[in-house]
Amino acid sequence: MAEREWKKGSAELLILSLIEHEPRHGYELGKLIESRSRGVLRFHVASLYPLLYRLEKRGWIDGRWVEKAGQRRRRYYRLTADGKKILAAQRKTWSAFAQAINRIAGVQHA
Amino acid sequence: MPEWNVEIRRRLAALRLSPIREAEIVEELSQHLEDRFRELLSRGLSQDAASRAALAELSESDLTEALGRLERPAPSTPAAPGATTAGSRVGQLLQDVRFGFRMLRTRPGFTAVAVLTLALGVGANTAIFSTVNGVLLRPLPYPESGNLVTFWGTAPEKGLPVVNYPEAMFVFFHQRNRVFESLAAYTPGGVSLSGDGEPERVATTWVSPDFFTVMRQVPIAGRAFLSEDGTRGKNNVAVLSHALWRRRFGGDRNLVGKSILVGGQPIVVVGIMPPGFDFPDRSDMWLPQVLSAENVDDWYLSTVGRLKPGQTVEDAHRDVVAMSDQFFMSRPARFPEAKPGSRAVVQPVLRSLVGDARTPLLVLLGAVGFVLLIAAANIGNLLLARSVARSREMAMRCCLGASTGRLTAQLLTESLVLAVLGGGAGLLLGALGIRVIQGLQVGPVPRLAEVRLDPLALFFTLGVTLLAGVLFGVAPALRVSRVDPLDGLREGARSGTSGGTRRLSQGFVVAQFALSLVLLIGAGLLLRSFRRTMEVDPGFRPENVLTARVQLPWPKYGNDTVVRVFQNRLLESVRSLPGVHQVGLVNRVPFSRGNPQSNLYVEGQPPKPGEAVPVINMRGASPGYFEAIGTPILRGRGFLSSDVPGSPPVVVVDETVARQFWPGGDAIGKRIRTNTDSTTPWLTIVGVAPNVKHASLRERSNFELYWPIAQNPTWSSYIVIRAAGAPEGLVAGLRRAVSELDPTLPVSDVHTMEGAMAESLSLARLTNVLLTGFAGLALLLAVIGIYGVMSLNVNGRLSEFGVRLALGAAPQDVLRLVMRQGLVLALLGLFIGLGGALWLTRFLGSLLFEVSPMDPVTFLTVAGVLTIAAVAACYIPARRATRADPIAVLRRD
Repeated sequence: MAEREWKKGSAELLILSLIEHEPRHGYELGKLIESRSRGVLRFHVASLYPLLYRLEKRGWIDGRWVEKAGQRRRRYYRLTADGKKILAAQRKTWSAFAQAINRIAGVQHA
Repeated sequence: MPEWNVEIRRRLAALRLSPIREAEIVEELSQHLEDRFRELLSRGLSQDAASRAALAELSESDLTEALGRLERPAPSTPAAPGATTAGSRVGQLLQDVRFGFRMLRTRPGFTAVAVLTLALGVGANTAIFSTVNGVLLRPLPYPESGNLVTFWGTAPEKGLPVVNYPEAMFVFFHQRNRVFESLAAYTPGGVSLSGDGEPERVATTWVSPDFFTVMRQVPIAGRAFLSEDGTRGKNNVAVLSHALWRRRFGGDRNLVGKSILVGGQPIVVVGIMPPGFDFPDRSDMWLPQVLSAENVDDWYLSTVGRLKPGQTVEDAHRDVVAMSDQFFMSRPARFPEAKPGSRAVVQPVLRSLVGDARTPLLVLLGAVGFVLLIAAANIGNLLLARSVARSREMAMRCCLGASTGRLTAQLLTESLVLAVLGGGAGLLLGALGIRVIQGLQVGPVPRLAEVRLDPLALFFTLGVTLLAGVLFGVAPALRVSRVDPLDGLREGARSGTSGGTRRLSQGFVVAQFALSLVLLIGAGLLLRSFRRTMEVDPGFRPENVLTARVQLPWPKYGNDTVVRVFQNRLLESVRSLPGVHQVGLVNRVPFSRGNPQSNLYVEGQPPKPGEAVPVINMRGASPGYFEAIGTPILRGRGFLSSDVPGSPPVVVVDETVARQFWPGGDAIGKRIRTNTDSTTPWLTIVGVAPNVKHASLRERSNFELYWPIAQNPTWSSYIVIRAAGAPEGLVAGLRRAVSELDPTLPVSDVHTMEGAMAESLSLARLTNVLLTGFAGLALLLAVIGIYGVMSLNVNGRLSEFGVRLALGAAPQDVLRLVMRQGLVLALLGLFIGLGGALWLTRFLGSLLFEVSPMDPVTFLTVAGVLTIAAVAACYIPARRATRADPIAVLRRD
């Protein structure tokens, strides 16, 4: 349960970060989150896509069908200009938040 | 490999996404699942395990709900290209309304029938409801008019439903009553107004001084009556109506305090009433009535009283009865037979003003209600039929993604559009109907001229229309909501009808026939009784007869000799006019107002103890009167110029008197008188005339007595002229003749005898015309209804009939089959209607004349007519059934 709450708060930031430098499709995003978090965070199809559609609807990311030779076409998502601003803002908030948590949690452990 | 698409689609179905968007999502998600599946396989899972794991991830959280918050459903009427996709409800409503209009335009026949049916139903209701409201319900224009009551004695056993009170009795009531805040007596009549301008007869009411207090009327100029105005010598004052003041005196403010010539006498105008006040019955002038506490002989006063707060009509009735008993029992010399239990009628003034018009109006209101129900059933049926014909369209839309809610909303909107069109047209028809009813000149219906299409009627119509719209919309809509689209498509192919729909429309037909039967029987009974009325012999020949009233003012014509001389000269002068065949005078002509009566004592036949003294109508007639009016003398003689004062007092009686008192013998030579005191002379019967109807063709025969008017002249008399041809042309000559004799005399109440009789029948005629019209409309609608249902039925079963015919059934068998089905419905309706009619026609009782409310002839005739109509209406679709071609029908599938 705790994992689910954390995911909710951080999911947007994760997606936006992962497509910051190159467009990625949904399955790839799911795999990256799982592998980079070493299996702590997982987004499966039923939660990942509604999230992507929501971000797209807000205009932060943009999905496009791309066909590559010998493959079925896939939908790649890239960051929009608006998305870039949001990402910067969220990063700032998140790091301030994380530092605050760390400070409190660190003091308590000491 | 699993069917990812199917699994994903199943989860998206409830969202009703646009097909393009749905396809996109399905593709993207199935791609993902496919990747995941392959990954799991590469890790060594079995096909089954990998597939299960991938699908489990699809179900890990609620995809449908998460997407539902994001994605917009597709517009639900894809059948209308270019339609708005804006999700707003207003947009949808506008779209539905536009679409509704378009649907109605594409089927002009259906639309015309439905709108016309609704318009007729609503129009008839609006007109009658407005009339009933304006005549029966709207309060009188006097302050707190609900507390105003009137009362009178009644003696139906003597043929006297209304007995007015003598002055002494009113004075007694005035002093002793406990229920009235104020009480007044009044007597309507007329006087001649002369002086500047043409002499005219003015509707005048003699009133006790309290009258304006009772009515709570404050004059706009001058004053109302004071109690001293009601004493002899001080009573030469008048209060004028606003209308008379404006019309005759130009609204002159200085008129108050001046004298005017009333009946040749100077009378001082003391007050002017506010506009609109003309109680009772369009009074233009009010004169004070001098009342004597001693007079118990002249029974002529009407009453109007204002109830004290908290007192009811019933309280007033108890009080009036108690006071009447006291009055009679305290005067044993005058009323030796008096005993407790006097009878009186107390009514709110509004109710008594409306009088005879009440029952017919309520009957008509009930009848139009029926018409509206029948119309509603018809429209319900039409819409049901439409929805059946459109089930394929609806099923198609359902499959294309329209939700049931949207389809229902659209069907409701369509019926509402229909209802508003019909209601609007109905409102116009209603306004027209009110004009027509007013144009019929129905004398006995008061306040008819003031009837307007009032807000209450408007709300009523609007309510009925909207209710009808919703109701009509609901049945087809319910039908749609239950239809499975695939069934709809399949069923649509065969254009059949479901059992529920059929039962509903059959129910409508049964109800229509039942209601129509009740209406037709009501109309039939009224028509029959009207014919009976027209067959009544009035006792005279009304054709080519002109009558007019001449009233001689007192004191100019203060003694009998002057009156006699004037009347003789008038008769002579009119007789010499070209075109005059016969002429005579009478104190009260048939079908005029008022009916002077007296007690009747027959020589040698004193009334038995405890038996009421008979009452007789008193008519003073000149020689020539019987010839002029066309009443033949059956035995003996009429009046001669030798029947004058000094010659033996003689009378003519009618055959009712002769039969009653000398059955089998001869009345000629017998003697009667009107009072028992020694000063009243015996009158010798010299002739017998047939009974004459006086107020109405439907009245029962009353005793009637004629005396020679010269032996006892009356100031007011009617001149009766029988013309050689049409009598209207004689009016100018008559007026000239009167004016030559006395230019101050007005000639009033000029009527042809036929006109007066027609006027007496106008209310019955109006009721007849309208009720017959409504019944005819009901019949037409019921026939359309059964025809429509049977057509629908036959169309739905054409293939069945085709097969039957192909398998060797004779066309006659198919014909019988269909006819039987239709007739069962009609007969079931008739059966139910008969029960309703037996119960409802009792309310017609008081309108019927010599026809029983359960008249078997009417019941059977009407049932026969309806059956024939049903047979005719079923025959056409039944014939179509016999021509069903099995090949064509089967190929159509």
